Amino acid sequence: MQDVLSVVSLGSIYLLFALGMSLTWGTIDVLNFSHGSIFMFSTFTAYLLLGSTALPFLAVVAVAVAVGALMSVLIQVLAFEQIIKRARTKKNAEMQILIGGIGIAIIPLAIAQHHTKSNPFGLRESSFSVDTWVVGDLRITNIAVMTIIVALVLWLALALWLRRSRNGLALRAIGVDAEVASLMGVDRRRLALVTMAVAGGLAGLAGVLFTFTLGAITPESGDTLLVKAFAIIILGGVGSMRGVAFGAYFLAACEVWVLTQTSGSWVEAVSFGLIFIVLLIRPAGVFGRKEVRRT
Amino acid sequence: MSSFYLTNLVLVQATITGLLLALSIQVPIRMGVFSFAGAGAYGFGCYAGAILVLDYQMAAVPTIVITGLLAGLVVLVVGLLIAKLNGLYLAMATVAFCLIISVVAINGGELTGGSTGRYGVISDFTMGHMFAIGAIALVLVALSERGKLGRRVDAVREDPELAASMGINVRRYRLVAFAVSGVLGGVAGAMNILVRSAVSPLDIGFPLIVLALTMIIVGGSLSWKGAVIGALIFTWLPDLLAVVGEWQELIYGIIVAIAAVLLPRGLYGVYVDTKRSVLRRRRQEATDKATAQTPPPTSTGDTTDIDRLAPEMEAQR
Repeated sequence: MQDVLSVVSLGSIYLLFALGMSLTWGTIDVLNFSHGSIFMFSTFTAYLLLGSTALPFLAVVAVAVAVGALMSVLIQVLAFEQIIKRARTKKNAEMQILIGGIGIAIIPLAIAQHHTKSNPFGLRESSFSVDTWVVGDLRITNIAVMTIIVALVLWLALALWLRRSRNGLALRAIGVDAEVASLMGVDRRRLALVTMAVAGGLAGLAGVLFTFTLGAITPESGDTLLVKAFAIIILGGVGSMRGVAFGAYFLAACEVWVLTQTSGSWVEAVSFGLIFIVLLIRPAGVFGRKEVRRT
Repeated sequence: MSSFYLTNLVLVQATITGLLLALSIQVPIRMGVFSFAGAGAYGFGCYAGAILVLDYQMAAVPTIVITGLLAGLVVLVVGLLIAKLNGLYLAMATVAFCLIISVVAINGGELTGGSTGRYGVISDFTMGHMFAIGAIALVLVALSERGKLGRRVDAVREDPELAASMGINVRRYRLVAFAVSGVLGGVAGAMNILVRSAVSPLDIGFPLIVLALTMIIVGGSLSWKGAVIGALIFTWLPDLLAVVGEWQELIYGIIVAIAAVLLPRGLYGVYVDTKRSVLRRRRQEATDKATAQTPPPTSTGDTTDIDRLAPEMEAQR
């Protein structure tokens, strides 16, 4: 039972992180490799602010979300839009966005590593304190409860927004065929910026919640999460909201299971192995839509 | 000169291994296979080299040859598994392969030395060996960019369907790309362990992919010259940037980001473009002069139309 609880809380962190990546990849074709850096750096900014003043929990979250959204929008404007403008084909653009993201990710990482000397940093100075509640023989922290609720609510909200709202429809149209969507009067640039801002904000939120859960993170922890998020997205199927939730909790379940069975150092291999297996057996993912290819 | 060489020996060695690592990523990219498996092969090569020397007391050259072949085989098997994937999916599958290598290295027990890795790898490896292997690899890669083979590789990258319809076995070319990248990466890793004498799981993994990729992106992805430029820059730059002190990582990141966004074909691509436009301008000037000097056509009969067209044809060539 305790294991189920850890699966759900770990999976919720994964869900928050992967949600943003899945959203940008499934709609505006941006596989943002600096998502991990955004995740780390927005937490890092909150950490720096906490060095001077003790902020309450909500303020810390607000700072991280704002920084994440801002970084994400800046990267979109300064890098990805320029790449898309210059690239000859869509395939080239996708590749260059991947490479550009890897390049950009170095910058926040370098700043944070320089400042912390690659040591872990936490958010202990916040006036929020992590409590553990004991129900029967179950132990759960208040931050875990909050993470689970926030992740599920945001996931549901985003899924409904994509499905029901006009903008969501427009965004999904871009995902299917960007050219035709803009012929139908969809403002691609504005929607892309909104999407990136939402994704960045989610990364910042995930960063703060993750750091409160663990106590501290290292500047490099974004990289590992990035590959895990990729595993989650392809497991569920690119662009599928149900898929990303399924992937997040499935990966968490696999990892917790491996953790209870082995000494623990194989946990990292779970997500990488999963990528391989999924790509071999079902490249479109569990909930993926079938790709129509002309060639 | 010789004292400069001796004080910077470590950097010279790093340049050669870095060059081979960069080539191991570049060769598949040139065939349109976006694979990072070369970086995984490098990690594999580091460990295989250490194991062969430490546990089997092998000499340097056989170690490198065997490691290269083994790495080529491993990456070829990976290639066979994921050959049908494309684009981003292929790229990420190979990233997963690289990371699996480092997890295996951590969990390999006695064989890989766990999280401390293997150390004390000393053998009869000399700089002569290193230069020779580096030169051979470079020449072979350079040859694959010329003539018939070079054109076929370009066709496989730019338009696989067209290439297939012209009778090129695209699948075989892509598998060869995997094997070659494995061999290059494995050899680079083996040479690295022989000159560094120690390897730990921290030395391989995601940062290695980033390093190899940055060399190719900043140098240029479509010619071995780009790999040379990239390897030179990213081995020597940290040393030169020591002037800027602690912020070198940041500057490194900014350079990579700018190159990735603004110069998709790298510094070598910029060089080629500049050269071409300068030549074009010169030819333009030459033609302008030539047309100014040509007397108005008088039908004397000894100049044919083709003669009058000659300067223009020259310009177009």
